[in-house]
Amino acid sequence: MTAPTISATARDQREKPSPADGRPAPAGKFRTVLHHRAGRKLLPLAVAVLVLLPLGAALWGGGGWPAAQTVDVSGPLDDANDWVLDNRDTHPLFLYFLLHLSNSATSAVDAVYAGLAQLGWVGVTAGAVLLAWRAGGLGRSGLKVAATALAAFAVCGALGMWDPTLMTIALMIVAVAAASLVGVVLGLAAGLSDRFDRILRPVLDTMQVLPAFAYLLPFVLVFGTGTPAALLCTVIYAAPPMARLTALGMRGADAGVLEAATSLGSNGWQRLRTARLPLARKEMLLGLNQTIMMALSMVVIAALVGAGGLGEEVYSALSTVDVGKALAAGIPIVLIAIWLDRTTAAAGDRIGDSASSAAPSGRGRFLHGRWAWALVAAGTVAAAVAGRLAGARLWPEAWTYGISTPVNKAQEWITENLSSGVPVLGGTEVWSQNFTLWVLNPLHDGLTWLPWWALLLLVAGVAWLVGTWGTALTATLAMAGIGVLGVWDKSLNTLSQVLAALVVTLVIGFAVGIMAARARRFERVVRPVLDAMQTMPQFVYLIPVVALFGVTRASAIIAAVVYALPAVIRITTQGLREVDPAAMEASRSLGAGSRQQLLQVQLPLARPALQLAVNQGVVLVLAVVVVGGLVGGGALGYDVVKGLSRGEMGIGMTAGAAIVCLGLVLDRLTQPAKARARKGA
Amino acid sequence: MSSTHAGTAEATGTAQSAGDDVVFSVRNLWKVFGPKAEKIPGNAEYADLSVEELRARTGCTAAVRDVSFDVRKGEVFVVMGLSGSGKSTLVRCLTRLIEPTSGSLAIDGEDVLAMDKGRLRELRRHRAAMVFQHFGLLPHRTVLDNVAYGLEIQGMGKSERRAKAAEVVAKVGLQGLENRRPGQLSGGQQQRVGLARALAVDPEVLLFDEPFSALDPLIRRDMQEEVCRLHDEEGRTMVFITHDLSEALRIGDRIALMRDGRVVQMGTPEEIVGSPADDYVRDFVRDVPREQVMTARTAMRPPVGDEAEQGASVAPGVTVSEAIEAVVRTGGVVRVVDNGRCLGVVDHQGLLAVVAGLGADFPAATGATGTSAGAGVPRPDAATGTTGEVIPA
Repeated sequence: MTAPTISATARDQREKPSPADGRPAPAGKFRTVLHHRAGRKLLPLAVAVLVLLPLGAALWGGGGWPAAQTVDVSGPLDDANDWVLDNRDTHPLFLYFLLHLSNSATSAVDAVYAGLAQLGWVGVTAGAVLLAWRAGGLGRSGLKVAATALAAFAVCGALGMWDPTLMTIALMIVAVAAASLVGVVLGLAAGLSDRFDRILRPVLDTMQVLPAFAYLLPFVLVFGTGTPAALLCTVIYAAPPMARLTALGMRGADAGVLEAATSLGSNGWQRLRTARLPLARKEMLLGLNQTIMMALSMVVIAALVGAGGLGEEVYSALSTVDVGKALAAGIPIVLIAIWLDRTTAAAGDRIGDSASSAAPSGRGRFLHGRWAWALVAAGTVAAAVAGRLAGARLWPEAWTYGISTPVNKAQEWITENLSSGVPVLGGTEVWSQNFTLWVLNPLHDGLTWLPWWALLLLVAGVAWLVGTWGTALTATLAMAGIGVLGVWDKSLNTLSQVLAALVVTLVIGFAVGIMAARARRFERVVRPVLDAMQTMPQFVYLIPVVALFGVTRASAIIAAVVYALPAVIRITTQGLREVDPAAMEASRSLGAGSRQQLLQVQLPLARPALQLAVNQGVVLVLAVVVVGGLVGGGALGYDVVKGLSRGEMGIGMTAGAAIVCLGLVLDRLTQPAKARARKGA
Repeated sequence: MSSTHAGTAEATGTAQSAGDDVVFSVRNLWKVFGPKAEKIPGNAEYADLSVEELRARTGCTAAVRDVSFDVRKGEVFVVMGLSGSGKSTLVRCLTRLIEPTSGSLAIDGEDVLAMDKGRLRELRRHRAAMVFQHFGLLPHRTVLDNVAYGLEIQGMGKSERRAKAAEVVAKVGLQGLENRRPGQLSGGQQQRVGLARALAVDPEVLLFDEPFSALDPLIRRDMQEEVCRLHDEEGRTMVFITHDLSEALRIGDRIALMRDGRVVQMGTPEEIVGSPADDYVRDFVRDVPREQVMTARTAMRPPVGDEAEQGASVAPGVTVSEAIEAVVRTGGVVRVVDNGRCLGVVDHQGLLAVVAGLGADFPAATGATGTSAGAGVPRPDAATGTTGEVIPA
């Protein structure tokens, strides 16, 4: 409440001529501080801290969240779980709604899986390759995409993972279809109605921040483990990008075109069909691409709730620390990700081109539109029939190659030779021990040493500094929610891991990002690597990390860093590149060196992008740190896994809720109001 | 102010609506954006306020204020004004792309504001088609399909509409580009597509909203000629919005000059240039090459002696620059003859007075002493002895 007063005085001071001309410096400096946006808030904040710190110390003392202030939710949750188990076959809610949902989910996946199995490996591979080629334009330009598809499926088969791959693809097909449908419907509604957009937007924003792990448990609570839970949480997890981008495409449509359509007397439906939807095609395809990638990421993680497929293989291999087997299942996941990404991206590029290329005529017409789809279908069926006639339905045993033994040998070698005792460098295990000892533990100890109320104050203060009263309120309430849930210590453990990983990510990410922005050649090298890394599901990152660093807290953090780096680097590079060239030129013309340019022009002007990078970094790091519960990360993530594997809903759900709260806190702390407005636009 | 304004509007209204050949008849049209916009029109309290004052007082922006005019069949009616003068809003009000706040609006005597949705769609589909400043083409469709878009909306079958569109494409000179997409065309070509799309539905009125202001000067010239050619060939009624005075003068049969939502002056190009209604308009037309716009009729004086009987002759509608040529060739006075009747004569003095912007009445008023004409003589007051429909601002 003091903020307006302060700013008013600041303005008064500015307007009044300085009475003492002799020494304007201190007053000027003070004014500058007050004038600055954050500075205006610092003073009241300092006052508040001075008042509240002794007060808090006197009232509550130090230490963790007081036990008296917690509410035990695990008991009621367990009861709810029991109730669901008891009533699943009798209660009308289940009989008439949820059971139908779960049955149709199961039968849809089964049907698709059976269909794919009927096609045989020849048919499936041919279909995937033709689809990729079609997306790439069925010309020579599409051949590269088609080759990617062929290679991906060949390797999947060769690694002996054909059947799990089919299962994963079947799940993906159903999940992506449902998620796209849900997303398009929501996106259309949000694109056409302002009110619905205002309601939907914060929901989508929040959903995007939450780690995949937090989605699993509620579905298990209702549906039990198995395909329906896995499928439904994948759909819910993957639908937001489609909804968001469809709405964006609808809203971003050229108003002039829509007006022209109206002026010609079109009705609402005609406008939607002939102008709005076609104009939004590019955004919608991008949305489909993102939805597919998120669905893949979730389908793999959903192995924890019984999804089956490749994720299941990775999960079971990781739980026995069988790196070779995990890798054999992980490579197909990566290849599927690349295949899907390239195929949808090629389709998106083609739509971008079509606006500036002549319509096909004559012979070329048969390679477009309906004809091309017919060609793809015919080719697939032909290949399938040929494959069946040749008697090959399953991937031939002779063409497989087991990599798990050699990989495990390599891993043993790594453990023996690289983990410790490497001269000068130390070794991976030594690094991770040192990291734990010197970074992680002090951070954790520091956080737990802070009195709970001081931490709340800190959260409130920082959130207020970067945002508004609303931001501060949300963040503080979410933080308090963690305490109330009774998982304060575990959450602080997770938080310390997130912070450690975030610092490492940002240091490396900004450094590489700045380098890539300044050296084009370096960017050309880094870019494809980043592209590939960004398409991979979170789960996959755990495999090499476990191989190198063993099962510790540090490995979860390293996986998180590796997962979050591409996004941070990319946003940093892009932000620096998009700095107004006129400003750069002006500073160069004034004789600024490249260091001066970077520090005085590029970085300040790229601040919104850097803030966005921090925000994205936090969200991504949290997602993997939580998944890291599987490989020794402990804390909240482990509780979720435990809850899932032992059916202890109470513990799992509590941890899941705490993860949600933590996600909200971290997002609000790193997302200034301005950046949020940009994201919305 | 309000009462005198309304009075003028009524006067012009009665003067014109007598004929049956009026296409659009607009009376006291208002468009106000903002909260409680409907309270602004007709409210004497707000009538004298400028746009800024009104916004400060009420939070509303009056884009079109009490505008009345008629568009006659077959004419090119130009609405001209600077950006923010409300001209684009006005043209959108004609087909209710923007809903007017108050006033009346009729097309061929039928009340547009009373139309229901279906009737309004019929109006937009068949009777009035619009060409937009930024073209508004569908980027994913070919030129041919863009031109056929209006017909598609009408529900016409594919082959039929394509055949019809192909005809129009040829008419605007885009043969051979039918299968291109808008992104591959130049700005001028894109606007030809926009024009073709509007023409394809064979509308009664063509509405142009600053169609050429996004184009290069040379291409703009081409397009203006194209529009003039189309008008000469088909005689279609056109309402043309522009901020470019020379464009307005070149293609307009009549011009309504707008400022801050009001029509400041309405008349033929010659009336606007020859007798500006106020300082604003005068400022506007100051740099216009008057000899290109004014006609011999303005420059002529009554014949003296036997001047009416002999010598070369010109029509009253020729421009002053053409009359100058005739005077120079003959070396004396030239008769202005309309249907064999001598209306008067032009000489070098009368023509030069028009070029110098001294007003048509100058030679008559000052007699033969006008030799010192150009030297610092203040401009005579305008609006004297003119026939234009002058609306005081």
